[in-house]
Amino acid sequence: MAKYAMAVDLDRCQGCRGCMEACKIENNTPQAVFWMYVFRTETGEYPDTKMSFLPRPCQHCNNPPCVKVCPVGARFRREDGIVLTDPERCIGCRYCEVACPYGVNYYNWRKPDAAFGAYDMDYSDPDVAAVTGGVIPSYKNPDLDLLQGDEQRLTAGGAHSVGVMEKCTFCVHRVDKGLNPACVDVCPVHALHFGDIEDPESPVSVYLRERSSFKLLDELGTDPSVIYVGGAPPGSETREIERPLTEVRS
Amino acid sequence: MTTEAMPQREHTQDAALPQGIGRLTPGWIVFFAAMAAVTAIGMYAYFLQVTNGLIVTGMRGLGTMLGATWGLYVAYYVYFIGVSFAGITVAALIRIFRITKLEPVARIGELLTVVSLILGALAIMADLEKPWRAVVNLIQYGRPQSPFFGTFTMVIAGYLFASLIYLYVTSRRDAAILAEQPSRFQKLYRILAAGYEDTPSQRIIDRRATFWLALAIIPLLVIAHSTVGFVFGLQVGRPGWFGALQAPGFVVLAGVSGIGNLIMLAAIVRWATNTRDRITVDAFAWLAKLLLGLLITYLYFTVVEVLTVTYQAGEVERTLSDALLTGTYAWIFWGAIVSLISAAVLLIWQAVTRKWSIGLIFAAGALVNVGAVAKRYLIVVPSQTHAQLLPYPTGSYTPNWIEWAVVLGLFALGALMIGVFMKVFPIVPLEEAE
Repeated sequence: MAKYAMAVDLDRCQGCRGCMEACKIENNTPQAVFWMYVFRTETGEYPDTKMSFLPRPCQHCNNPPCVKVCPVGARFRREDGIVLTDPERCIGCRYCEVACPYGVNYYNWRKPDAAFGAYDMDYSDPDVAAVTGGVIPSYKNPDLDLLQGDEQRLTAGGAHSVGVMEKCTFCVHRVDKGLNPACVDVCPVHALHFGDIEDPESPVSVYLRERSSFKLLDELGTDPSVIYVGGAPPGSETREIERPLTEVRS
Repeated sequence: MTTEAMPQREHTQDAALPQGIGRLTPGWIVFFAAMAAVTAIGMYAYFLQVTNGLIVTGMRGLGTMLGATWGLYVAYYVYFIGVSFAGITVAALIRIFRITKLEPVARIGELLTVVSLILGALAIMADLEKPWRAVVNLIQYGRPQSPFFGTFTMVIAGYLFASLIYLYVTSRRDAAILAEQPSRFQKLYRILAAGYEDTPSQRIIDRRATFWLALAIIPLLVIAHSTVGFVFGLQVGRPGWFGALQAPGFVVLAGVSGIGNLIMLAAIVRWATNTRDRITVDAFAWLAKLLLGLLITYLYFTVVEVLTVTYQAGEVERTLSDALLTGTYAWIFWGAIVSLISAAVLLIWQAVTRKWSIGLIFAAGALVNVGAVAKRYLIVVPSQTHAQLLPYPTGSYTPNWIEWAVVLGLFALGALMIGVFMKVFPIVPLEEAE
């Protein structure tokens, strides 16, 4: 059994947020929902400031606090290390969200169908329609509804039903086909690497072998499957300096 | 029922049933209508929430959405479960330690336990977008490893069920007495009495049953309130929540709010049913001493907690304690501390002078409940908005009218349940000599 992991090279990341865009397109996430999120942060005082970037997918912990607290087993961890949500079992108590120290969970506060149109874009505009082929809103990746893995369970990959929790799935529908997660394939500077960490020849193992690395909030004992290379973990002086629209409109 | 029989029947009811049971006074009708109206507003707000999703509330996601994903509903769920502490504690004091002075308020306490547990269950259901799915999936897929599991099994199922049984067993004698007289509710009393005739041998059996039941419910009480504390205290990823003091703190604050509520309710019942001779100042003094003991324990816990967090001063913990002590939440925190300390001063003053006044004890009961609600809110919310471990900016949360309407609707529903009970059954146990 493979054991999936992601390596994030902070020395390479340029904060372009292409991964966030790729994730939104692949998983059709609603407005203000960022399964992959890139912090653009700053430390120090002007003029001696330093800017840095920190991509934050779900950490797919090997000791996941969200799985522990779920009262109905909707949040589950597969044997290959991918942590997923069964949207038909989730009761929407949001305990996983408060238990997660990384803030990766997104609850569907509203009916997401309406949220797709909330980008202030006029889809009937001929120029827009020429690109979308009249499909949006809302295109839905058909793979997202498939049952995945040995468990044959739903994964909340773009289920987007109101009142349930969702988060990054490591693009399980792509991984099960032998592909990389969308964010990994899209990264223009190869900052993201994905693969089977138990296979010494996989891209992620090779990458990690050569470099020193750290895991986010490792002291909490969550044992993430996302491993950061280069750079430094965010400290108390790290502040976010710019952010996308993260407000859900009612 | 013939028209001639009516006046005579009314007459016998007046004579037969104590404590104004079955008589609808104008005051009670006004109370009922007001509470029903508030409940209706709460139901309307809940209807809006069910049809539109939780987007209509003030809650939003943690992290990038800069909100609090648990808000007023969870704070009041914790508060309502806490209030349920009252009934069984009083029952245990009576049955196990034989403090007979408290007997007249026993049923008020037991009723308060049952009602507040129901309200707690409804508050947590109001927090869920899909309550029907929650019920089905919890039965089908419930996981004991989740601290929430305790809420649904230990608290709502076990504790509520045990309390209902206790309330029933201790009420059977009164039902048997009332069933002997003709009245509007005679059939109901006969069904409730279920063959109980208040013979000496039955009394002994009853006393033994309630003794063991009280003894069995006490560990259940500690476990149930602890599981609510574990919902927060086991979460290492949320500074301000993680800690071994969380569970015992929850048990003690539950006691403070529960006994405080019982004092207020007993004073209101005493006034409404005109039972001044039955519920004596002595009973209130007992409750006040109990409240004082719990309150001082809780204040001690609070000092220990604040000292631990500010002294060790991890970065995030410092952000959080700054928000609590001097920042956004300072007015709530110091408001809670001032109300709890003034309640303690009121009670200590009365204990020292040995002059107990129901008015002052009532005031202390009200003050501790203000403090308890504020503390529950402070446990739930600030750790979400001000304790992010990754560089998310500080969040904010303000409950909106939908959430307040639902919560006030729950309070009104509870008042309705107690009000209706008072018109059907004696809320103060009947005297032995009747």
